[in-house]
Amino acid sequence: MSIMEYNGGSVIAMVGKNCVAIASDLRLGVQSLGIASNFQKIFPVTDRIFVGLPGLATDVTTLHEQFRYRVNMYTIKEEREIEPETFAALVSSTLYERRFGPYFIEPVIAGMQRTPSGSYKPFIAATDLIGCLNFAKDFVVAGTASDKLFGVAEGLWEEDLGPEDLFETISQTMLNAVDRDTNSGWGVVVHLLTKDKVITRTLKGRMD
Amino acid sequence: MPDGSYAHPQQRQFNPYTENGGTILAIAGADFTVIAGDTRQSEGYSIQTRYAPKVFRLTDRAVLAVNGFAADGNMFVKKVKQRLEWYRHAHAKDMPLRAIARLIQTMLYAQRFFPYYVYNILGGIEEDGSGAVYSFDPVGSYEREACRAAGAAQSLVQPFLDNQIYFKNQQLPPGQTRPLHLSLSDVLSIVIDSFTSATERHIEVGDGLEIYVVLAKGRGPQGLEAVRGAQELTTNAEGDRVFIVRRELKKD
Repeated sequence: MSIMEYNGGSVIAMVGKNCVAIASDLRLGVQSLGIASNFQKIFPVTDRIFVGLPGLATDVTTLHEQFRYRVNMYTIKEEREIEPETFAALVSSTLYERRFGPYFIEPVIAGMQRTPSGSYKPFIAATDLIGCLNFAKDFVVAGTASDKLFGVAEGLWEEDLGPEDLFETISQTMLNAVDRDTNSGWGVVVHLLTKDKVITRTLKGRMD
Repeated sequence: MPDGSYAHPQQRQFNPYTENGGTILAIAGADFTVIAGDTRQSEGYSIQTRYAPKVFRLTDRAVLAVNGFAADGNMFVKKVKQRLEWYRHAHAKDMPLRAIARLIQTMLYAQRFFPYYVYNILGGIEEDGSGAVYSFDPVGSYEREACRAAGAAQSLVQPFLDNQIYFKNQQLPPGQTRPLHLSLSDVLSIVIDSFTSATERHIEVGDGLEIYVVLAKGRGPQGLEAVRGAQELTTNAEGDRVFIVRRELKKD
């Protein structure tokens, strides 16, 4: 079995009207054996950026620390918070540095991007394990349930969903996709970002 | 060295199977069943044809969808139809759906050690007038279900169906109840949405869509008269009735 599927786990991010959402499962496993049902794969980067790191669990920790270090260095040098688009470039170059011995992670980024006029617009992106960026307008998926997530999201997602409708859409997508994946599940966490607040909800899901 | 001599051991291999892509799907209602499949046939990254049916009318109350290795699929359908004709000659009636299901199991298991590389979904109307879907694995293990997707985009479509047909992960407000069965028009919408979604994200799905609708005897065509281009295939209008609906899918 591929090293990308060794620990299991999936992440999805979706765009809504003046909001974005990012969700992941909470499982940590070793192939078919479940180890923990509280394994965070999504981390806050700033007050309005979240990054999801599905893939090899040891690299989840390593990359999280690596990103924290590099974002702190950026904040000190620039004397301002990093923007989502800039952070996506940072993720991409961090991964491409290891082009021939990659981290086994496919990051998903969700955030609210500040525009020149001072307002905020939703931003999502995903990369492969060597940092090839994908800026999607609708949704991005990654992890062991990615094909299931693609299928359900393609059926449920629509344009300009408000925060509560987006929450329902991403939650239903995640829950139904991981229920058909043996290596994902054991609970779901959803983060909903608007221009001025973040709502985090932990969902009850099937525990089998 | 493969020099034609017998000095060195030689190995040859022939793989009798290929995978021809595509996806099939069936959903049972209270007194109807919908069986659908796309019409693209591919091998690797090449499209062999944009119109190769995977769904076949067996009788006025049974429709069979076959997906996997197309050559095996066509041969299998041919043999099932032949057995059904023999049954008609012997018993002067069409074989009931649950009997066709058992026949298919027997025919698949007969090839246990050189299987038809095919996933079958049988849909139609049971003798009691209820809609039914039977799904099979390549060696004949089968089950009656309310809905099933199979083929290249099964992993995309099945969780969507779990959500929209079985209402999985959906809770109702207290005191409210859900209708036991979906209406034909709702089912048709879900089928078309499933295939447009699968077409969008899977390279082996697309080109055309064929949807068969089987209606129980005595049931009016409610939900079907509004459907564009529905065509009746029934031989005896007194019993269960079969219709076909065709739709275009994206060709890229």
